[in-house]
Amino acid sequence: MRAETLKGHLDFLLLATLADEPAHGYRIIEALKRRSAGAFDLPEGTVYPALHRLEQSGLLASSWVSASGRRRRVYRLTARGRRGLSGARREWRGFTKAVEAVVA
Amino acid sequence: MIERYLRELEAELGAVGIRGSLRRRILAETADHLRETGDVARFGESKLIAARFADELATNGARRVAYTSFLALAPAGIAYAILLGLIRTWPDITSAKVLPLAIATALTVVLAPQVAFATGLLTVARAWRLRSETAVPAAEIGVLRRRAAVALGSGAAAFTGIAVYAYEYSSGLPSWWTTTAFAVSGAVLVPIAGAAVALARNARVRPQASGSAGDLFDDVAPLLDLVPFRLRGRPWRFCLLVAVAVAAAALIAGGPDEGPRNAVFEFVAVCAGFAGLGRFLGLRR
Repeated sequence: MRAETLKGHLDFLLLATLADEPAHGYRIIEALKRRSAGAFDLPEGTVYPALHRLEQSGLLASSWVSASGRRRRVYRLTARGRRGLSGARREWRGFTKAVEAVVA
Repeated sequence: MIERYLRELEAELGAVGIRGSLRRRILAETADHLRETGDVARFGESKLIAARFADELATNGARRVAYTSFLALAPAGIAYAILLGLIRTWPDITSAKVLPLAIATALTVVLAPQVAFATGLLTVARAWRLRSETAVPAAEIGVLRRRAAVALGSGAAAFTGIAVYAYEYSSGLPSWWTTTAFAVSGAVLVPIAGAAVALARNARVRPQASGSAGDLFDDVAPLLDLVPFRLRGRPWRFCLLVAVAVAAAALIAGGPDEGPRNAVFEFVAVCAGFAGLGRFLGLRR
């Protein structure tokens, strides 16, 4: 999938990826790739600016966590992020249903 | 290889104004990621990543600063209206301690709040228009920052002016009013200063995305349909419309004695402001 196509949905995808559990940047990118069966294979470095921006907006929070002698920045959804994700899910389901009705 | 990439990214982040703890954090996250994958090429060119950080953080930050500025100025506007409304009899203009300073202050107290109000609204209008954008052209962010700076500067000037006015005319004003004016000015300047600090922090980041900044008509597009004649692309026509509206309000508020003089003054002030600040604030191209 082209990066441009993904661009408008990246925030939604990142929030959805973090819905189940907190994760660091690399794990988020891997989860995106795995859950989309390789369709969302974007330049890895471009995910980090989006994570920082979502944190700046209060949708994510992050903290350093030490594991196996390595310090990692772990991101998690905030309450505001969960509300944002719910809204985005509703919007997305409505949109895909409408598109499906037209193109099917 | 990884170390070299991190050094390049550090330099590129510095070049776009991202330094200090934020840069250290980005580099630490990048180092952790690259040690996991070992694939520098897949991470993306350092210049591109730094530019992406600058564009996204500057866009989001400038938008937040715009809303913060408006929130800091809104109570200031209410306080201004209440403070001036409490004066029953205005002191004679010549009764000031230092007359030239008092006249300059009086002009500031009249004009600065109007500039703060207009630019504050324009700042929020631009931020609202860009609300769903993740990264906008640097020119757009420049306009947003300049509008917020002028709004905050004018708000601060207005309340500094009120404090000076209270001091200059303390002999002709009730003592409770001068005390209240000092206290309110001090209280109002705190959130304005806070918003100014946030703006200064955001202004350190230099976004890289190219593109035009848009103009006033992009910001107020939904309102243009309410006007029965064509305004888009005609900034001076828009300016005259606003100037006439402001002058009419001044005429009505001033009554038969002071109304005509105030109306002319306001009309000239709006046109002069538009001529002087129009391009700087992205009102006309």
